[in-house]
Order: sequence, then structure tokens, then C-alpha cells
Amino acid sequence: MTTTSAWRPQRRKTRQASRFASTLIVVLIMGLLLVFFVLPVIWLILAPTKTASELLNQPPLSFGAFSNIGLAWDHLASFENGIIFVWLKNSAVYSVGSLILTLATSIPAGYALALTRFRGRKILLTITLLVMIMPSASLVLPLFLELNRFGLIGTAWSIILPFSFFPFGVYLVYIYFSTSLPSEMLEAARIDGASEWQLFTRIALPLARPVVALVAFFSFVGNWNNFFLPYLVLPSSDQFPIQVGLNQLLSSTPSFNPVAGAGLDIQSPELALSIIIAILPVLIVFLFSQRALVSGMLAGSTKG
Amino acid sequence: MKSPTVPQSGAPKRRVLRAALAIASLTAIVALAGCASATQSTSTGTAGFKKAAQNNSSTITVWADSTRLPAVQAYQTSHPNAKLNIVTYDGSADGSTYLQTKVQLFDRTGKGWPDVVFASPTDVTWASKATSPSAQAFAAPVDELVPSSTINNFAKGSLTPCQYNGHTYCLRNDIAQVVTWYNKTLFDKFGYTVPTTWEQYQALGAQVAKDHPGYVLGWVGDSNSQESYFWSSQCPAFDLVQPNTLRVALGSTDCTRMATLLDSMIANKSISTQASNNATFIKQTAPKVLMAVGPSWYGQYIFNLGFKTPAGQIAAANPMTWSGDTTAATGNVGGGVWMISSHSTNLKAATAITSWLTTSDANQGSAPTYPAYGPAAKTWLANPANSKYFAADVSGAFTTAANEVWTGWSNTKFSDATAWSSVVLPALTAGKTLTATLPAWQAAIVDEAKSVGYTVTTK
Amino acid sequence: MTALNTGGRLMAPTAPSPARRRTPRRRAGLAGYLFVSGYAILLVAFGIYPTLFAGYLALTNDRGQFTGLNQFVKVIQDYRFGPAFTNILVYLVMWLVILVVLTVVVAVILRSRMKPGLSSVFRFLFYIPGALAGVASVLVWMFMLDPGVSPVSGLLNALGLSTFSQVIAPQSLPVIFVFIAFWTGAGGWIVVMYGALNNIPDEILEAARVDGAGPWKSAWFIQIPMISKWIAYMTILAFAAGTQLFVEPQLLQSASLGRLNPTWSPNQLAYVLAFQFGDFNGAAAVSIFLLAIGLVGAGILVTRSGLFKAGDE
Repeated sequence: MTTTSAWRPQRRKTRQASRFASTLIVVLIMGLLLVFFVLPVIWLILAPTKTASELLNQPPLSFGAFSNIGLAWDHLASFENGIIFVWLKNSAVYSVGSLILTLATSIPAGYALALTRFRGRKILLTITLLVMIMPSASLVLPLFLELNRFGLIGTAWSIILPFSFFPFGVYLVYIYFSTSLPSEMLEAARIDGASEWQLFTRIALPLARPVVALVAFFSFVGNWNNFFLPYLVLPSSDQFPIQVGLNQLLSSTPSFNPVAGAGLDIQSPELALSIIIAILPVLIVFLFSQRALVSGMLAGSTKG
Repeated sequence: MKSPTVPQSGAPKRRVLRAALAIASLTAIVALAGCASATQSTSTGTAGFKKAAQNNSSTITVWADSTRLPAVQAYQTSHPNAKLNIVTYDGSADGSTYLQTKVQLFDRTGKGWPDVVFASPTDVTWASKATSPSAQAFAAPVDELVPSSTINNFAKGSLTPCQYNGHTYCLRNDIAQVVTWYNKTLFDKFGYTVPTTWEQYQALGAQVAKDHPGYVLGWVGDSNSQESYFWSSQCPAFDLVQPNTLRVALGSTDCTRMATLLDSMIANKSISTQASNNATFIKQTAPKVLMAVGPSWYGQYIFNLGFKTPAGQIAAANPMTWSGDTTAATGNVGGGVWMISSHSTNLKAATAITSWLTTSDANQGSAPTYPAYGPAAKTWLANPANSKYFAADVSGAFTTAANEVWTGWSNTKFSDATAWSSVVLPALTAGKTLTATLPAWQAAIVDEAKSVGYTVTTK
Repeated sequence: MTALNTGGRLMAPTAPSPARRRTPRRRAGLAGYLFVSGYAILLVAFGIYPTLFAGYLALTNDRGQFTGLNQFVKVIQDYRFGPAFTNILVYLVMWLVILVVLTVVVAVILRSRMKPGLSSVFRFLFYIPGALAGVASVLVWMFMLDPGVSPVSGLLNALGLSTFSQVIAPQSLPVIFVFIAFWTGAGGWIVVMYGALNNIPDEILEAARVDGAGPWKSAWFIQIPMISKWIAYMTILAFAAGTQLFVEPQLLQSASLGRLNPTWSPNQLAYVLAFQFGDFNGAAAVSIFLLAIGLVGAGILVTRSGLFKAGDE
């Protein structure tokens, strides 16, 4: 095996050639991936500017007309009397509601798992890891029966409560606190007579801002995009979040359901527009939290 | 300082291992001992229809797909006193099991069922039976709720999918009888005559392949193409000879004759193996569609909305026969049904809206698809809005075909589309012939049938 | 299902520092219980109870009788079981290899070969598809894969694929799902890997450079070993999420009007068993198999990578 000393400068010529080759490889990889990631997105953004038949007949990456966006918007807004706005509002209620509960439960729990001692701590950690890989299809029936027993079916709680259970978040907070908050610091404060609650609110919480942002981001995105649970649990279409709503739009589109759509005006451009609307909140949240995402991770792994 | 409850390093691992071993040996012992069978209970006949406590002023919940939503809303407008809670869902399109899934869950919670639903005929097969030993069948027998004169007025055979154990569990919204569609403008231009037998159809295919390559006489790539072609050929692919015995005999000549015919036309490219909703097909082949064997809704939904064929070109002819046969048999592709929930607390209101939706001229006369209810179908055909798109009167073909739907293709507990579209179509795409694929199709149907509890005969 | 798991991207793999263990306090015990109580309630209600219930279902029949392992035997003998598990294994192998290799390579390039500003733009561009989950991603790919309308129809045609039905031929399906999963999932992981790389002190890389190590060599001998725990961690979560593949095949199945087998993946099989046949017991048995695969996979990775070692105490 080559050791570091063997890498000492050799002949200049070969080095230049290899530098050129490696730059070429880098450009090639990044270029291909950029196309792979971005091309479909560009197509998606351009799709609502075209009519359904232009989408078939014009070059895929051509621009149609701004007026078509307005047209698609009108069709979308009049679909089932503007139910898409109800779906967006529902998504916001479910995502934000469970986000609040997730933060309220997972931050203290992760803190306690990392920095306090109590019986069952390790069991709790192990179970947290285990439930993360449990297939959710099998959990839906028990979950449904349980929610029904408490009379929650048909209420927003039937979505918010299961969403608030976020073991990933707890584990993340646990890692964060156990690596970035020295317990000596807490010990010193304890000796000064601070209560456990004060330790948490005065010392731990102010330090936890990056991880709070991290948990909030992933909880929000996960909940906003969740399809399966609301699809199965919600009994009524005006309670659907946008993801389930998109599925309903899809099944009302003639090209995906030949017997649908007379006079509904929901076609591919309308679908594309509804997708763009549905993902905007997630993209905005990502843009705002990208810095916290990177710095939160940093803190999490400093001592790894 | 370590809290005494925290075990030493490594201990939990060993403990977990020991526990796992214990569980494993326990399960092994249990497995060796006699255990109850894992097979599901079979519902014991009709559980009987026990009405819930009735309240004639309670609100009823109606589930409809987006296409039928305007009809339900129209009912609300014309009946301002009706108390409706309207919910939209996918209408069981494309083999969706949304309705079935939800009813499974409602059966377990004992509440939440919609009072009236629009659904596909396949849904009736499970809705007419209890989903679990303790549940009651979801669908109410409508023959106990509407007058028999109403039921008798539905097109012949159109209520067959609704019937189980001597009761009728749904009212048919529309039928989708298969007719022979053709482009009159192109036929006139090329000087062809519309085939009346399958043999003529095949011969025309050979001629078109030679004289007008690129033009097609139909396609088989849709998830329902088997219903247009093999059903019309009276192929016993889904033949319920007894309530629980399914005959799947794709080796029979009634199937092979159609397979051979289609193979020859696929080979000379006068029939496409693509799907009609496929973008490439719409772009390249749709303007060159001379003919199509397909249901009554092809006119509006495929030619008008899908292919954007200009008005005044498309016409329909009677279903084709096999030379030698005196009467034609034809297929049926889809067609929705309305069901009333047996759990409804306001059966009166539920029955009223279901009758209005399926039988009234006010609704069905201008419905998007061909009504199953005889008198309404007459009004529908007389409605200029339903015929102005066509090059010639379609009512003759529609009426004839409606009475020629072959009843040997049963409504089974599993969708007839799954095996066709997931086994046969990929094989066609890969270049295999239909004749060579029949055994694989047969095997797939038999697997499905057995998994839902049918006894299968293949003779 | 995808959504349920996306949140898992950031379960950090680093071990808690051992220093913490020296200072437990008795009074912290009670406080600890109070702090975890909210989460514990949710864990019992939405994690433990449903899991135990699923276990109970898998060992009984719909009459509530104890069946031992008969449900498992029954589902193994089901004609859909073998193909579904074969499909998911093929998918998992391709998905994990591509995910691990590409995210690490890209993260290294973003970290060491690019200006921070440009790299942040790239990270955002790579992440955008991550916002498109479920219906949205399938729909976009329906168009990308249709040679008639795709922006890359030239490429598809060059591969000998001229129709959509040829593109979604059964043997190509695992590749298609890997594409969709990579397109929506890789961006998030690239951000994670970048964050991990960012954390390696500059002095270490500087020292290597002084020793004459080129960027590739320092990546291979220094950067990648230092983030190996993150890689193992990503692999475990991607593996667990991959076993649960559901939304993509389900939606592609309905959007292609049934050209896919409705029980393509094991999770779909469980869903069909439960909701189409009312066989919740058989469905639970399929899920337990999936869980077992997930646990074995995670177990191998944990022992091989030394991940969580300190965390296990």
C-alpha cells in the first residue's frame, strides 16, 4: 500500500495531465447529475405554460405562453369548487400542528435521554431505533382501530397525533445533546442550585437552536409529503391534505383515467401546476433552513 | 458513579440474545404443536340485511367520482330539501381499491360508511358479501328498496354484475357495450366498407397494411382491451359456472380464434399494441385510427377528448359476428354502478337519490355515458348533445349492442384487468404473440382466482 | 411510506461522549421521566402498541385463534410472495450501491473541489426534487420516461425504447424505481454528507496536502474513512426505507393503467392482502418478514461498521 510519502511530487507533466483528467471527471459527474436532477424540474416548471396538446406536440423544453398558466390556474381553482385551497390549508394544519407537538415532545425527550439517568433509558433508546424500521402498512390497521377507540376518526387529530410521533427527531436531539453539551456544565449549574427545569430551559434550549431547526425541517417535510396515513385514515375528501388531493386530481385526468374528465378540464398542465403549488412550501422552508441544516449536522458530529 | 439500574457494558447484548433464543425456541415448540388454521373464514351465505334504526331526516353521505359530482350537485339543486354530504373520491377507477379499503376499516369501527356510493362493478363482488365474520355486507339489496318495475327496465344483462344469491345489490349507472367504431371520413376517402364479420375485419387489416401502412384498425394495449376483444369472442376466461367455481379455459377455440386473428393483425401492424392514453400513440397513431373495437364511451372519451378527432368523422356500427354465427356477442368495458349502504340510517333518502341518479331523464338524459336504464337511454340517444359529434346516427349500433352483451364473462371477485395488463401486455411489448402468451395469462388468472377462494376448472 | 422515512435522514450516527456517563444524579431520574413522558406516550400509542398488535395479528387468524407460524407458512406459499421479495431485493441492492457511491462522490466534490457559494447552489438544485414526493415524483417521471414527450427521448430511443410500454417493461422496473428514489432522495443525503465532510478539520486535509496527497487520495484515505459512520447510517436508513417501497409502484401502477403487477413490492402485497382480501393476519405476517429483513440488514451494517457501538454502552 502506498504511504503518504510516496505521493511526493513526481514529474510535473504527469501531474498536469492527471489534474486535467480529474477536473474532467469532476465536470462530467457534476454535469450529468445536474441534468438528471434539474431537467425534470425545468420540464415541470415549463409544463403549465402549455396546453395539453402542446405538451404532446411542442418540443419538451419549449415555453408556451403565460396566458396558459392563468388558464390552468382557473381550471384548477374551479375543480370541485376550489377544493385545492382546502387541501393546502389542511396540509398546513396537519404539518404545523404536528410540528409543534413534535418539538414539544422530542426536544425534552432527546435531552433527557442524553443527559439524565433513569430506569428504562436504554430500553427507550433501543425501541426508538426499532420502530424506525417497522413497515408502516402493517401498523395502519391497529392505528386506525386505536384512533377510532378514542373517537378521533374524522378529526384533524387522527393525522396530527400519529405525525407528532417522530422517533428520528428524538434520536437526533439525543445525539446532539450527548455530543455538544458537556455534562460538567450541567453539573456545575446543579451545584449552583438550578432546578432540572431551569437546566433545560436556561442551558440546554439556548444551545439547541440548530437541532431544533433540523428536527423542525424534517418533521415538516415528512408530514407535508406523507401520503399513506391520511389516504387511509381520513373519511372525507374535504379533509385530505394536498398529497392525497393530488392523487384525486390524477384520477380525474383523462390521460390517466379514460372514463374521467368530461368538462373537468383537469389535464397534464393543470396537474403540473398543482404539483408546483404543492411543493412550494417545502422549497421555501428548505431555502431558509439550509444553513441550519449544515451547521446542525456539524455540531452533531464534532465528537464522532 | 453509576446508577445501579444501568447494566454493565455488554450485558444487554447477551440478554437480548438470550431472550431471542427463548422466543425462537418457544415459537418452534408452538409451531410443532397443533395450531389453528391460518386460512380465512369464508362468509357464510347472505348474512341477511338488518336495517339500522331509521331516521328520515338524517343527512346522507354520497361518494361520487369527479365525473359524477355534477349529477349529485344537480340533485341537490333540484331537491333543496335533501340533506346531502357530498364526498368525492377516485370512483374505483383503474382498479383502485380505495372504497374497499375504507369499507374494510369502517366495518371494523362500526361506523363511517357512506350511504350512497358510485363504484365499479368489481366492487359489487365484495360489497355483496360480509368482509369479516362479524360484519354485514356493505351493499343493501336494492330489490327490497325499489319497485321491481324499475329493476325490469334496465337493459338486458346490465344488472347481472349486481346480482348475487338471488338479490340485486346495485343499480347500474351506465353500460359500456362494445360496438364497432370507424372513421367515416377516412373510410369514404379510401373506399373501404365497414366489416360486419371478424373475418372481414382481418382481411381489411391485411389490405390496410398493404395500401395504407401506418393506419390502424384498433389497439390492444389498454388495460381493458381484453374486454373489447376476448369478451366479444365469447372466450371463457372468467366464467362463473357456479357461484364459487370459475371456469378459466383460454385453450378453448373461442379464445384461440381471437388470439390468432389479433396476432396476424399485430404482425402486419394494422393493430397497435400501445395504450390509447399513451402520448406517442396520441401524437403519431391517433390521426390514423381507421377503426376501433370498443365501448360506447370511446366516442366521447377516446376520439373526442383523447384523440381530438374533429366532429363529423366518427361513426359506430353493430358489433361484428364470426362468419357462420347468426347473432353477435359483444363485450362490455366498465360502466359504473350505484350502491346503497346496508348501514344507512336514512334508506328512504338514499333510495330516492339513487333512483334519481340512475333512472331519471333529468339526470341520465344528459349523462356523460350511455344509461343502463332503458327509458333513460332513449332520452339520451334523442338528446342532440350526445349525437352531434358523430358523422352518423349511433343509436342503432348502441341499442343493438346493448342487448348483445355476452353474459359468460362474469363479474369476479378480482379484477379481470390485472392479469391482462401485468402479464399479457408486457409480453406483447416484448414481441411475443398472443397465442404464445395465452398459457401465461391462463396461469395468472388461475393464481388470482385461487387466492380469492374460487374453485377453478380449466376445461 | 416514503414520507414516513424521509425524516430519518438525520439520525446522527455519532456516539455520545463517554464523559456524560460519569455524572448521573438521583434527582435527575424523576426529571428524566417528566422530560420523556410526552414522547413516551406517543411512542406507546403510535409505535409500540401498533407493532405488538401487528405481531399478535401475525400469530392468529381472523377468528382470533392462535395459529403459531401458520400465517407465515401461508404467505410464503402465496404465489405473489416470491416475486415481490425478489423484486425488492434487486431494487435494494441497486439502490444502495448507487446511493452510497454517488452521494459520497458528489459530497466530496462539493466540499473539496468547489467554491462554497457554488457548492451551496448545487446543493439547493440537487435538493429541489426532494420536495417532490409520492404523486408528484411519479407523475413527473411518467413524462420523463415516455419517449413521445420526454426531454430525453433521444436517449431513450438510443436505448431501443420507442414506446412507454417498452420503457416500463418488468425487467426495467427496479431501475426506474431506483431513478425515482435517487432523484427525490439523494439531494437530502448529499446535504447530510456535505455537512459531515465540512466537519473534518481543515488542518488534517492541509497536512495531507503538504504530504503530497492529491484531492482523490485525500478523499479516499482521509475524508471517506472519517465519515464512514455517516455512510453506514445512511445505508441503514435507506435500506429500511427501501424495504418499505410502496407509493411509487402503487402510483405508477394506477397511472400506467395497470401495466405493473399490483403486488410488485412486499408492502403492496401486505396492503392488497389486508384491504382487498380482508386478510389482516396474512398482511401482518408479510410485514413481520419485512421487519426481519430490515433488522438483519441493520444488524449487519451495525456490526460491520462499528456504528452505535458506544451508543449501546
